[in-house]
Amino acid sequence: MTSSSAHSRKALSKIACNRLQKELVEWQVNPPAGFKHKVTDNLQRWIIEVNGAPGTIYANETYQLQVDFPEHYPMEAPQVIFIPPAPLHPHIYSNGHICLDILYDSWSPAMTVSSICISILSMLSSATVKQRPTDNDRYVKNCQNGRSPKETRWWFHDDKV
Amino acid sequence: MQNQDGAVADREKESAVSIPISEVDDWANFADDDIMQQQSAIHAEEAKKIPFVGDKYLLCCNLTVLASYLLYAVTLFQGNSLSVVSLSNTNYPMPMKNGWTVFIIFAILITCGIEKFCYMELQEPLSMLAAEYESGSPILLEKIKVLDQQYAAIRRTRGDGNCFFRSFMFSYLEHILESQDRAEVDRIKGNVEECRKTLQSLGHTDFTFEDFFSLFLEQLECVLQGNEDSIRFSPFFSQDELILRSRDQSISDYVVMFFRFVTSGEIRKRSEFFEPFILGLTNATVEQFCKSSVEPMGEESDHVHITALSDALGVPIRVVYLDRSSCDIGGVSVNHHDFLPTSANKSNAKGGSTVPVKPFITLLYRPGHYDILYPK
Repeated sequence: MTSSSAHSRKALSKIACNRLQKELVEWQVNPPAGFKHKVTDNLQRWIIEVNGAPGTIYANETYQLQVDFPEHYPMEAPQVIFIPPAPLHPHIYSNGHICLDILYDSWSPAMTVSSICISILSMLSSATVKQRPTDNDRYVKNCQNGRSPKETRWWFHDDKV
Repeated sequence: MQNQDGAVADREKESAVSIPISEVDDWANFADDDIMQQQSAIHAEEAKKIPFVGDKYLLCCNLTVLASYLLYAVTLFQGNSLSVVSLSNTNYPMPMKNGWTVFIIFAILITCGIEKFCYMELQEPLSMLAAEYESGSPILLEKIKVLDQQYAAIRRTRGDGNCFFRSFMFSYLEHILESQDRAEVDRIKGNVEECRKTLQSLGHTDFTFEDFFSLFLEQLECVLQGNEDSIRFSPFFSQDELILRSRDQSISDYVVMFFRFVTSGEIRKRSEFFEPFILGLTNATVEQFCKSSVEPMGEESDHVHITALSDALGVPIRVVYLDRSSCDIGGVSVNHHDFLPTSANKSNAKGGSTVPVKPFITLLYRPGHYDILYPK
């Protein structure tokens, strides 16, 4: 899930590289509320700190998101996971994989890291109970070979949380 | 929230229409969808290899037609009409029921081989369409005859959900290449600038769309010959070059996405106008519709998309419908609809130039897919 996949990944295309540099500049000027980008020299992997929104069940909790960009970003979706320990949430697996449509089938090149972050925070904020998905153990076991969440065929049916 | 356990991404899912076999084995119930499926059955093996934009077909390719006939005859004889389909649409090997299945596979392989071999100059007229529908409804065959009288050729596009935008892209750029209509290019550039402002006013940050915009503008410059830019980019820009570019994913997909941005911007800008149409399609809000059905790549286009794109860019589009809709008694006619840009968008026309009214882009719609048609 972490290092092995990173090494086999293809480098960013020129257009992806330019785009990410612009996104990073925009982030620095105008970061989404509740998020902090941890400065590294790796443009292809962003580590982002998430603070649970005040007044929600994740208030005062901090988590880390790992965002890996593919060669043809933004035509292809980035891979976004929580670095364990991941928040206890009905759509977040204990290995950090997130079941959120915009990260997979509904990804659009019109989106940005910032808009992904806002969607993830909104998903966290609307949860009322801290619990894992019902199929957590089975899913995590199936991912033991380091499978990316982008290879999972997700089934999105709950639009409330 | 659930993952389909253990299911590795189905790489085939984009490439072919999924076909419920049981529904197709009764010829009496053969409907439009089945006709599309039959076509995809023959071409499914090739699905991944079909270029974004195909060759323009003018003459009959007898070999392919022959192979199609052969396949059809064999499947009929076998009784189990579409075992071919299940074979080409799953990752699992089809159990070899009998010798005929083997023979069909062999026939497909030969067909594919022939297609690849003929790739350079493979040409077919609309009669090629007729061959595809040989087993289908007589109404369709009649309609194809009517089309054959009005249209000279067809150019296929890949059925990946972007076919409307891809057909539009190729058809528009080809028109500019052939007409060298500088006034039209200046006009559309004005509209593109409007679209840019629309997106900005809707809250899009420039970097999210500027790469897509500049790539489209670059293509426009390239097809206008004699222009300094076109000399710099490509001194001998020809139709072959346009085809190459349309098949180059890094160009083609960016231009498709440019159109998706433009379409989404137009729908959201005039949300009161589009809302009733969108409610007729889904019960999503305008915003949700754009996020889920316009902006992601691979989402198919409907009337709403075509109207919005045509209005935003001020380009009229004719869509010819090849379906089984009933015809007037005493003669078969093929329905078409002209999407004409609304007058609201003519206001920015500079120097008294007007939006052309007669569409120079003609697309053939068959249930679920758009291709390009060439009038005679």
